[in-house]
Amino acid sequence: MADGELLIRNGVVYDPINGVKGEKKDICIQDGKIVESVTNPKVIDAEGRVVMPGGVDIHAHIAGGKVNAGRIMRPEDERKGVEPKTKVCRVQSGYSIPNTFATGYRYAKMGYTFVMEAAMPPLLARHTHEEMVDIPILDNAAMPLIDNNWMTMEYVKSGDTDLLAAYIAWIIKATKGYGVKVVNPGGTEAWGWAKNCDLNDAVPYFDVTPAEIVKCLGEANEKFEMPHSIHVHGNMLGHPGNYEVTTATYDLVKGIKPYRDRPAMHATHTQFHSYGGTTWGNFESKAGAIADYINNNDHVSIDLGSVILGDTTTMTADGPMEYSLYQITGRKWTNHDVELETGSGITPFLYSGKVSVHTIQWAIGQELALLVKDPWKIALTTDHPNAGPFIGYPIIISMLMSKKRREESAEAMHKAIFDRAELPSIDREYDLNEIAIITRGMAAKTLGLAEHGKGHLGVGADADVAVYDMSPEERDAGKIQKAFLNTKYTIKAGEIVVKDGEVVATPPGRTIFVTPECDDKLMDEMMVTLKDKFDKYYSVTFNNYPVQDAYLPHPYEIKAPWRSS
Amino acid sequence: MQTITLKLKNAVMSGIAAVPVEVDALTPDKLFGKSEAELNAVNVWWGNREENTGELFDVSVEGDAASADEVKIVLEGDLTRVKRIGEGMKAGEIEARGDVDMHCGAMMEGGRIVVKGNADCWAGREMRGGELIIEGDADDNLCAMYRGEIAGMIGGKVTVNGNAGELVGQYMTGGEILIKGNANRLAGLNMSGGKITIEGDAELFGPDMTGGEIVMKGKVLEMMPSFKFLETATVDGVEYKKYLGDFAMGEKKAKGTLYVR
Repeated sequence: MADGELLIRNGVVYDPINGVKGEKKDICIQDGKIVESVTNPKVIDAEGRVVMPGGVDIHAHIAGGKVNAGRIMRPEDERKGVEPKTKVCRVQSGYSIPNTFATGYRYAKMGYTFVMEAAMPPLLARHTHEEMVDIPILDNAAMPLIDNNWMTMEYVKSGDTDLLAAYIAWIIKATKGYGVKVVNPGGTEAWGWAKNCDLNDAVPYFDVTPAEIVKCLGEANEKFEMPHSIHVHGNMLGHPGNYEVTTATYDLVKGIKPYRDRPAMHATHTQFHSYGGTTWGNFESKAGAIADYINNNDHVSIDLGSVILGDTTTMTADGPMEYSLYQITGRKWTNHDVELETGSGITPFLYSGKVSVHTIQWAIGQELALLVKDPWKIALTTDHPNAGPFIGYPIIISMLMSKKRREESAEAMHKAIFDRAELPSIDREYDLNEIAIITRGMAAKTLGLAEHGKGHLGVGADADVAVYDMSPEERDAGKIQKAFLNTKYTIKAGEIVVKDGEVVATPPGRTIFVTPECDDKLMDEMMVTLKDKFDKYYSVTFNNYPVQDAYLPHPYEIKAPWRSS
Repeated sequence: MQTITLKLKNAVMSGIAAVPVEVDALTPDKLFGKSEAELNAVNVWWGNREENTGELFDVSVEGDAASADEVKIVLEGDLTRVKRIGEGMKAGEIEARGDVDMHCGAMMEGGRIVVKGNADCWAGREMRGGELIIEGDADDNLCAMYRGEIAGMIGGKVTVNGNAGELVGQYMTGGEILIKGNANRLAGLNMSGGKITIEGDAELFGPDMTGGEIVMKGKVLEMMPSFKFLETATVDGVEYKKYLGDFAMGEKKAKGTLYVR
């Protein structure tokens, strides 16, 4: 945190959480926080430039076992982003799976200051935290995978939601995690039997369905004052015709009352879940159907998972999906099993504008953004690096802001976009306020981080600010993209970390974690079953499992008390 | 015609550990049009330090050139730790008088390189065009792809007068390679296009091949078992047994051709 005072003068401020839509005003900073006024500040002249809170990414894969397995597996990707060290920065490498340093620098250059690592295998929590500590500048958090876990499935089977909640509390505490992550519920466990699960298929041996898992986790999550809802990557990701599974998954949490004003489910990388057709041959966009659902319901929020054309590395705990992908491409593939907890797969993938399916996928991500009326229900993501690397966010922003650019791009792509996607017929263009919502405001609110100072510029908020080198009147898509790729200034906790598109300081970020507080009696009862699991099946002992405090040198704790009613 | 002579100073290689010099900045197309003072000032890496060319080499220039095609660079001195000679070069000629270190002619697009000695690993790596002549031996990974990439040599012509190491033309998709001596194991691994001719002996060439051809003029020390004999065929007036493979890649993909005596 920087000492002293900073004044960002005369910027055009977009701070959607506080209802500020492009007003010319000054931002005052003192000791890393936004304040009412300053007396003797260092002045940053933002005259006529766009000013926003630091970006908040709700879903990306930036640290941990599979990210690193991807790096090891793809030296050719590391070769793409090599930048020598400077006086400030360490050596950078990688494009779709950049090294930890490059991850921090490149996000900061785009004006982002918080990133959520979206899938932490609990058993690999230490590795994940070690990498997050190694990522400079960014504050971050990680969501442990809880859905394909044997403990979870046994409690779902017995219907004991209270004990399930106790287990959730324990595993989030043990991994210093943030919330409940769900990835292909039941399907990843079924992959251990060389099978996959649709929403209502029984998981082998455990005899529960993915639908039951999602519903129970949704209910258990709301037994605490959890900042975030369950965060769901549903079943049948990437399969033609999966959109009905997607809306059926949304329906599962319809009756659940969240503890505060937020959805009961965040459904992630929705592009991959919005497919019509029955084969790759008649594959089509069903973004319209998904958007209709979101427009008519308030219990689900989504993020885009928008495609960036080009080469990337796909990686997910959805093991069977990665195997399907590998069968299509024939490129290298790796698969991990994480004991009683989860699994994962990794394979490289090339999104080409000459291929009909990829073109339609590319259209779907943007269609979702343009067809959902309320931007507070969506966040901009590429499911980095699955649909493309995060460094492509400015491309998506420029597309959403410019119908002209979308038209020009569509012309150069496979003609399937004109009859199996809706994008070419959509006229809507985002304004900067809406961009600020989908890149910071919505994510901060949905993750419950706004009250902890993220994603807005109200007095008391973290002094995380992005000053973009563009006028609010700018309509040239190329210039918009350029401005959002490299900020004029990025300020993190009151310290200037990027100036004129160059990283000038690399302070460490904080790790934000949630501590769910559970009733002792429930905890004791759950512990008996859990310790038995450790004795019988785990390769590590119970006492060696939890992540020690030493793994979080810059911790920030959010308590989630048990709800009495 | 212009000849730029770069003689590596003895002092550069006199340390206990000979620290490599990387000279990808010294190609005819990059040096064309530079005065002698400018040539001396071109940055090259010496280990982890960036140095002026003039600090490491004695530079002399003779004649004038109207284009990069007319520029010839002659490298002299102990070149055994000089890496990336002619990497990415587009035009002109480089003559290296001695044994050279790794990555000579890597990603070369045009022009001509002559090595008057042996070349270490990765010569002609991911070559796009132009000509590379190695008068001595070439070490492993000649004209291969770099780790993880799915395309090796795409175009151009490479001649090795001596022997070649393992993995000649790995993931090759186009271009021509002629090995006048022997080739070590796994020449043409994952090759999908282009042509490799081996005049000496070789073993286990063409594994996972899906296209292109390998002509074996010398002795076959060990044949890949996953190729199918097709017919006898005549190439340049000589009779060969023609094989198709590699069937380890599946029936549909087995489109590579081997000619063996």
